[in-house]
Amino acid sequence: MNYYERPTPLQEQANAEAIQHFAEHLKQFKANCDALHNIECNLPATANDAFRAALQSSGHIIQTDDGTQWQHAVDLTKITSVCHRRTAAGLEFAAVECLPLKSREMKDALNSGHDAREVLQTFARDQRQVFNLWKDDMTAQVREHLEEKYPHQDMSIVVESFEIKLARDISRREILAQNQSHGVRI
Amino acid sequence: MEAIQENKEPTTTPPAERLAYSVQEAADMLGINYFTMYRLIQRQKLKTCRVLRGKLLVPRTELLQLLQTDLR
Repeated sequence: MNYYERPTPLQEQANAEAIQHFAEHLKQFKANCDALHNIECNLPATANDAFRAALQSSGHIIQTDDGTQWQHAVDLTKITSVCHRRTAAGLEFAAVECLPLKSREMKDALNSGHDAREVLQTFARDQRQVFNLWKDDMTAQVREHLEEKYPHQDMSIVVESFEIKLARDISRREILAQNQSHGVRI
Repeated sequence: MEAIQENKEPTTTPPAERLAYSVQEAADMLGINYFTMYRLIQRQKLKTCRVLRGKLLVPRTELLQLLQTDLR
Protein backbone atom coordinates (compact mmCIF):
# COMPACT_ATOMS: atom_id res chain seq x y z
CA MET A 1 0.00 0.00 0.00
CA ASN A 2 1.18 3.48 -0.78
CA TYR A 3 1.29 5.34 2.55
CA TYR A 4 1.68 8.66 0.83
CA GLU A 5 -1.87 8.32 -0.44
CA ARG A 6 -4.54 10.36 1.29
CA PRO A 7 -6.67 8.19 3.56
CA THR A 8 -10.16 7.46 2.35
CA PRO A 9 -13.13 8.95 4.25
CA LEU A 10 -13.74 5.52 5.81
CA GLN A 11 -10.13 5.30 6.97
CA GLU A 12 -10.42 8.83 8.40
CA GLN A 13 -13.55 7.76 10.25
CA ALA A 14 -11.91 4.57 11.50
CA ASN A 15 -8.91 6.57 12.69
CA ALA A 16 -11.08 9.01 14.64
CA GLU A 17 -13.08 6.17 16.12
CA ALA A 18 -9.96 4.22 17.11
CA ILE A 19 -8.44 7.32 18.75
CA GLN A 20 -11.62 7.67 20.78
CA HIS A 21 -11.76 3.96 21.63
CA PHE A 22 -8.13 3.86 22.79
CA ALA A 23 -8.16 7.35 24.32
CA GLU A 24 -7.44 6.12 27.84
CA HIS A 25 -4.55 3.93 26.64
CA LEU A 26 -3.08 6.80 24.61
CA LYS A 27 -3.41 9.12 27.60
CA GLN A 28 -1.69 6.63 29.90
CA PHE A 29 1.02 6.02 27.32
CA LYS A 30 1.74 9.72 27.01
CA ALA A 31 1.67 10.27 30.79
CA ASN A 32 4.14 7.44 31.34
CA CYS A 33 6.35 8.66 28.48
CA ASP A 34 6.35 12.11 30.06
CA ALA A 35 7.30 10.63 33.44
CA LEU A 36 10.25 8.81 31.87
CA HIS A 37 11.18 11.96 29.99
CA ASN A 38 11.32 13.86 33.29
CA ILE A 39 13.48 11.18 34.86
CA GLU A 40 15.87 11.34 31.92
CA CYS A 41 15.99 15.14 31.94
CA ASN A 42 16.73 15.23 35.67
CA LEU A 43 19.10 12.30 35.57
CA PRO A 44 22.32 14.11 36.59
CA ALA A 45 20.57 15.95 39.44
CA THR A 46 18.84 12.78 40.66
CA ALA A 47 22.14 10.89 40.57
CA ASN A 48 23.70 13.70 42.58
CA ASP A 49 20.90 13.59 45.15
CA ALA A 50 21.26 9.82 45.46
CA PHE A 51 25.01 10.14 45.91
CA ARG A 52 24.54 12.82 48.58
CA ALA A 53 21.98 10.69 50.43
CA ALA A 54 24.39 7.78 50.33
CA LEU A 55 27.22 9.86 51.79
CA GLN A 56 24.94 10.99 54.60
CA SER A 57 23.68 7.42 54.97
CA SER A 58 20.15 8.80 55.21
CA GLY A 59 16.82 7.25 54.21
CA HIS A 60 14.51 4.58 55.55
CA ILE A 61 15.35 0.89 55.18
CA ILE A 62 13.81 -1.13 52.35
CA GLN A 63 14.38 -4.86 52.34
CA THR A 64 14.04 -6.46 48.90
CA ASP A 65 12.63 -9.96 48.46
CA ASP A 66 16.12 -11.48 48.21
CA GLY A 67 16.83 -10.22 51.74
CA THR A 68 19.13 -7.34 50.77
CA GLN A 69 18.69 -4.18 52.83
CA TRP A 70 18.76 -0.84 51.03
CA GLN A 71 18.30 2.73 52.18
CA HIS A 72 15.87 4.92 50.31
CA ALA A 73 17.47 7.91 48.58
CA VAL A 74 15.22 9.45 45.88
CA ASP A 75 11.78 8.62 44.50
CA LEU A 76 11.66 7.98 40.74
CA THR A 77 8.01 7.02 40.32
CA LYS A 78 5.18 6.18 42.70
CA ILE A 79 6.56 2.67 43.14
CA THR A 80 10.22 3.01 42.18
CA SER A 81 13.07 4.71 44.00
CA VAL A 82 16.83 4.95 43.92
CA CYS A 83 18.31 3.27 46.99
CA HIS A 84 21.81 2.86 48.33
CA ARG A 85 23.81 0.60 50.64
CA ARG A 86 27.37 0.24 51.77
CA THR A 87 29.28 -2.85 50.68
CA ALA A 88 32.89 -3.99 51.04
CA ALA A 89 33.44 -2.72 47.49
CA GLY A 90 32.04 0.72 48.31
CA LEU A 91 28.70 2.42 47.80
CA GLU A 92 26.12 0.55 45.77
CA PHE A 93 22.99 2.02 44.20
CA ALA A 94 19.85 0.33 42.93
CA ALA A 95 16.53 1.17 41.32
CA VAL A 96 14.15 -0.56 43.73
CA GLU A 97 10.52 -1.23 42.87
CA CYS A 98 7.89 -1.81 45.57
CA LEU A 99 4.93 -3.30 43.73
CA PRO A 100 1.77 -3.69 45.80
CA LEU A 101 0.15 -7.03 45.03
CA LYS A 102 -2.89 -8.60 46.70
CA SER A 103 -1.25 -9.88 49.85
CA ARG A 104 2.07 -8.10 50.11
CA GLU A 105 4.49 -5.78 48.37
CA MET A 106 6.84 -7.36 45.85
CA LYS A 107 10.17 -5.59 46.41
CA ASP A 108 12.84 -5.99 43.79
CA ALA A 109 16.11 -4.31 42.91
CA LEU A 110 15.61 -3.82 39.17
CA ASN A 111 19.25 -3.04 38.53
CA SER A 112 22.19 -2.00 40.66
CA GLY A 113 25.76 -0.72 40.42
CA HIS A 114 28.37 1.51 41.99
CA ASP A 115 27.58 4.51 39.78
CA ALA A 116 24.21 6.13 40.53
CA ARG A 117 24.11 7.73 37.10
CA GLU A 118 24.62 4.40 35.33
CA VAL A 119 21.93 2.79 37.48
CA LEU A 120 19.51 5.53 36.42
CA GLN A 121 20.50 5.22 32.76
CA THR A 122 19.93 1.47 32.85
CA PHE A 123 16.58 2.01 34.54
CA ALA A 124 15.55 4.50 31.84
CA ARG A 125 16.69 2.13 29.07
CA ASP A 126 14.69 -0.74 30.58
CA GLN A 127 11.65 1.51 30.87
CA ARG A 128 11.93 2.34 27.18
CA GLN A 129 11.89 -1.40 26.41
CA VAL A 130 8.65 -1.57 28.37
CA PHE A 131 7.24 1.24 26.23
CA ASN A 132 8.18 -0.66 23.07
CA LEU A 133 6.44 -3.74 24.41
CA TRP A 134 3.39 -1.62 25.21
CA LYS A 135 3.49 0.06 21.79
CA ASP A 136 3.60 -3.28 19.95
CA ASP A 137 0.74 -4.66 22.02
CA MET A 138 -1.36 -1.53 21.60
CA THR A 139 -0.77 -1.57 17.83
CA ALA A 140 -1.92 -5.20 17.75
CA GLN A 141 -5.03 -4.29 19.73
CA VAL A 142 -5.80 -1.41 17.34
CA ARG A 143 -5.38 -3.79 14.39
CA GLU A 144 -7.68 -6.35 16.00
CA HIS A 145 -10.27 -3.71 16.86
CA LEU A 146 -10.33 -2.30 13.33
CA GLU A 147 -10.53 -5.75 11.71
CA GLU A 148 -13.56 -6.53 13.84
CA LYS A 149 -15.19 -3.16 13.32
CA TYR A 150 -14.39 -2.78 9.61
CA PRO A 151 -14.18 -6.31 8.21
CA HIS A 152 -12.77 -6.74 4.70
CA GLN A 153 -11.54 -3.12 4.66
CA ASP A 154 -7.89 -2.18 4.34
CA MET A 155 -7.13 -0.28 7.54
CA SER A 156 -3.37 -0.82 7.49
CA ILE A 157 -2.78 2.91 6.97
CA VAL A 158 -4.64 3.64 10.22
CA VAL A 159 -2.74 0.98 12.16
CA GLU A 160 0.51 2.26 10.71
CA SER A 161 -0.25 5.82 11.75
CA PHE A 162 -0.92 4.65 15.34
CA GLU A 163 2.33 2.75 15.42
CA ILE A 164 4.32 5.66 14.01
CA LYS A 165 2.79 8.07 16.51
CA LEU A 166 3.64 5.84 19.48
CA ALA A 167 7.15 5.13 18.18
CA ARG A 168 7.70 8.84 17.63
CA ASP A 169 6.60 9.56 21.21
CA ILE A 170 9.22 7.14 22.52
CA SER A 171 12.07 8.15 20.22
CA ARG A 172 11.52 11.90 20.51
CA ARG A 173 11.88 11.65 24.25
CA GLU A 174 14.94 9.46 23.84
CA ILE A 175 16.64 12.02 21.58
CA LEU A 176 15.77 14.87 23.95
CA ALA A 177 17.10 12.90 26.89
CA GLN A 178 20.34 12.06 25.10
CA ASN A 179 20.87 15.72 24.32
CA GLN A 180 20.23 16.77 27.88
CA SER A 181 22.11 14.02 29.69
CA HIS A 182 25.55 15.29 28.66
CA GLY A 183 25.62 17.38 31.81
CA VAL A 184 27.31 17.10 35.16
CA ARG A 185 29.09 13.88 36.00
CA ILE A 186 29.57 12.84 39.59
CA MET B 1 -33.15 2.81 36.35
CA GLU B 2 -31.60 -0.39 37.63
CA ALA B 3 -32.31 -3.54 35.71
CA ILE B 4 -34.14 -6.27 37.60
CA GLN B 5 -31.81 -9.15 38.28
CA GLU B 6 -32.95 -12.47 36.96
CA ASN B 7 -31.63 -15.88 37.88
CA LYS B 8 -30.29 -16.69 34.47
CA GLU B 9 -27.49 -19.09 33.69
CA PRO B 10 -24.51 -17.18 32.32
CA THR B 11 -24.40 -17.49 28.55
CA THR B 12 -20.66 -16.95 28.21
CA THR B 13 -17.74 -18.86 29.69
CA PRO B 14 -16.86 -17.45 33.11
CA PRO B 15 -13.59 -15.46 32.87
CA ALA B 16 -11.92 -17.69 35.47
CA GLU B 17 -12.10 -20.65 33.09
CA ARG B 18 -10.37 -18.97 30.19
CA LEU B 19 -6.89 -20.14 29.30
CA ALA B 20 -5.40 -16.69 28.76
CA TYR B 21 -6.17 -13.00 29.19
CA SER B 22 -5.23 -9.74 27.54
CA VAL B 23 -2.82 -7.49 29.41
CA GLN B 24 -5.68 -5.20 30.45
CA GLU B 25 -7.78 -8.11 31.77
CA ALA B 26 -4.83 -9.61 33.62
CA ALA B 27 -4.04 -6.21 35.18
CA ASP B 28 -7.65 -5.88 36.33
CA MET B 29 -7.53 -9.35 37.88
CA LEU B 30 -4.32 -8.61 39.76
CA GLY B 31 -5.55 -5.16 40.72
CA ILE B 32 -2.55 -3.38 39.25
CA ASN B 33 -1.99 -0.75 36.56
CA TYR B 34 -1.55 -2.26 33.11
CA PHE B 35 1.73 -0.38 32.64
CA THR B 36 2.97 -2.40 35.60
CA MET B 37 1.87 -5.54 33.76
CA TYR B 38 4.14 -4.66 30.85
CA ARG B 39 6.94 -4.08 33.35
CA LEU B 40 6.39 -7.53 34.86
CA ILE B 41 6.42 -9.01 31.35
CA GLN B 42 9.60 -7.16 30.40
CA ARG B 43 11.27 -8.40 33.59
CA GLN B 44 10.08 -11.93 32.75
CA LYS B 45 8.10 -12.19 35.99
CA LEU B 46 5.21 -13.10 33.72
CA LYS B 47 5.51 -15.15 30.56
CA THR B 48 3.20 -14.25 27.70
CA CYS B 49 2.33 -15.55 24.28
CA ARG B 50 1.57 -13.61 21.14
CA VAL B 51 -1.53 -14.50 19.22
CA LEU B 52 -2.42 -13.64 15.65
CA ARG B 53 -1.66 -9.97 14.88
CA GLY B 54 0.88 -9.84 17.69
CA LYS B 55 -1.43 -9.20 20.63
CA LEU B 56 -0.01 -10.30 23.97
CA LEU B 57 -1.88 -12.83 26.06
CA VAL B 58 -1.07 -13.80 29.63
CA PRO B 59 -1.77 -17.50 30.33
CA ARG B 60 -3.93 -18.17 33.38
CA THR B 61 -1.26 -20.51 34.74
CA GLU B 62 1.20 -17.60 34.82
CA LEU B 63 -1.22 -15.43 36.79
CA LEU B 64 -1.87 -18.25 39.26
CA GLN B 65 1.84 -18.84 39.63
CA LEU B 66 2.45 -15.16 40.36
CA LEU B 67 -0.35 -15.14 42.91
CA GLN B 68 0.98 -18.30 44.56
CA THR B 69 4.41 -16.70 44.82
CA ASP B 70 2.67 -13.64 46.18
CA LEU B 71 0.94 -15.69 48.87
CA ARG B 72 4.12 -17.33 50.15
